[in-house]
Amino acid sequence: MMFALLHRVVVGLLALVALPAFGAGAIEGEVARQPLNQTAIVMFLLFVVATLFITWRASKATTTSSTFYNAGGQITGAQNGMAIAGDFMSAASFLGITGLMFIGGFDGLILSLGAFGAWPVLMFLFAKRVRNLGSFTFIDVISQRLDRNPIRLVTAFSTIVIVVMYLIAQMVGAGKLIQLLFGLPYELALVIVSGLVLGYVAFGGMLATTWVQIIKAILLLTGVTLIALLLLTKLDFSFSALLKQATENHPKGEAILSSGVIFNDPIQILTIQISMLFGTVGLPHILMRLFTVPDMRQAKLSAYYASLFIGYFYIALLVLGFGAIALVYNTPAFFDSNGALIGGSNMAAIHVASAVGGDVLTGFMSAVCFATILAVVAGLTLSGAAAISHDVYAEVLKQGKPDPATELRLTRISVFLIGLAAVLLGIAFQNENVAFIATIPMVVSASVTFPMLLLSLFWSGFTTRGAIGGALVGLVSSIVLIVLGPQVWVSVLGNEQALFPYDYPALFTMPLSFMVMFFLSMADNSKRAQVDKENYRALEWRAEFGNAPEGEGSA
Amino acid sequence: MTTKDRLLRERTRRRFLFTGLHLLLYFSFSLNWTSWGGFLAERLGATYLSGAIVMFAVLVVLFIVLESVFLWLSQREERS
Repeated sequence: MMFALLHRVVVGLLALVALPAFGAGAIEGEVARQPLNQTAIVMFLLFVVATLFITWRASKATTTSSTFYNAGGQITGAQNGMAIAGDFMSAASFLGITGLMFIGGFDGLILSLGAFGAWPVLMFLFAKRVRNLGSFTFIDVISQRLDRNPIRLVTAFSTIVIVVMYLIAQMVGAGKLIQLLFGLPYELALVIVSGLVLGYVAFGGMLATTWVQIIKAILLLTGVTLIALLLLTKLDFSFSALLKQATENHPKGEAILSSGVIFNDPIQILTIQISMLFGTVGLPHILMRLFTVPDMRQAKLSAYYASLFIGYFYIALLVLGFGAIALVYNTPAFFDSNGALIGGSNMAAIHVASAVGGDVLTGFMSAVCFATILAVVAGLTLSGAAAISHDVYAEVLKQGKPDPATELRLTRISVFLIGLAAVLLGIAFQNENVAFIATIPMVVSASVTFPMLLLSLFWSGFTTRGAIGGALVGLVSSIVLIVLGPQVWVSVLGNEQALFPYDYPALFTMPLSFMVMFFLSMADNSKRAQVDKENYRALEWRAEFGNAPEGEGSA
Repeated sequence: MTTKDRLLRERTRRRFLFTGLHLLLYFSFSLNWTSWGGFLAERLGATYLSGAIVMFAVLVVLFIVLESVFLWLSQREERS
């Protein structure tokens, strides 16, 4: 019984925090609506006014597809690094990881490291090459050497799966989180989120989205820094004293300083690590940010700066997580009459803010969480719209020669439809256990996008047939194993035992996808395979030097 | 093989070398959940810092150091 309860909590938290954006799993089912938080609402309105002003300015510059999708490639490396961090450092990270540490101490850090570990890989393998080869989306990169139509359709489909699943998780989580933090009704929260995101993205495109993400990242970093400093001030800036107080308050005592309180199985740890690292690297809205900078050097700098900001954020969360144990456990005001933490473990971070900074800091952090959701949903919406209007319409249906005005109009219509779908799906799924939906994007990204991108950039023998076969196997196996796993088979369908023991199957599906891609490519002797292989040298040159070898310009 | 082809191979090797090093460090964190990593549960001297917590902080710093070195090597190569 106790294990089942713990499992549900962990699954929920994992689904929430395993995403670089805001997932929904931790805030499932009925959520007690809190009293209207006026400080939070005033601060959030200030954020909205500032970002809408930026959007209005950006809308004047957003007149072509290029400025819409990639801000005209004029964002600097440092700005883009901050925007990537803004896209990635989510309410999920802030609330979910602190909440998980509140329950299990050190074990919660696996999610911090898992998420952070993706950035060096992005920088070493992809930043420069992807920037040099693509124009708007990562699909541009893959389709350069392979048969463009089938590849674009398959990758655009996987992108849309990732974006839609992500959005459902986002919207359900957002609605419930806003109920908790602001005391607003669920449906109203969804309409506000969707309406603002539509405004940012449809009118301001990538330029406005970038600035929303930059402002949000600055606010979030400021908030966690303030909380961490105020926490340490209470203990003479001694982190060891903070840990001592945490061990004295937590029921598990000194066990929270090392592994084992929540997770015991090393294979489960590996599945989480693989899903989070390779899943993050392959997320379409993160990869899309690489095209907003003017050149390959700035692309590398983007990933570097993103690492610095995100690394700092997770170190600050280390203080916040143990700080939550040290301060919140021994404050009865944060617990209800049944002894449960008010709002659940995900509210631990907000309670810490309240404990060290009173109503003002609580209001500020609540507003930051709302802003965070907007920034992440904006990035996702833009990425989904680009997959439809650029990858499917412009590149497949119009064979790369679309009417620019029509393409831009279609993009804005796509943004509107995605926003509408997000609200409707958010309402439809509001009482469902959506933890499994939040898992799908990471696993699909690790099992489809990452292998395709890696092999198309670094293996001359990669062919269209291998890419499509591996992508389909990766996609189907990911969804099947998630359905057979504990999150769906037990938590949703009510069976006693899962047919597959792990929540994140990427440890198995990613190698499977790689193997299928490899063996199908090796066995492929078609004419198209010859073309795919011959295209590699020119692609590799363009990826590294910006231009193909003489006489090998076509790919 | 041209000079540029050699340069390209060298850069690709470097990319995989850094990625390999990074992944080695990254997955070493899972030692905490195995019996081989038992020593990481120990506290450091009289402090309440455990080996596991120190490992987390050190890994975050090491990842950034690795990236800094990679960036520095790339920039040095571009300048020359």
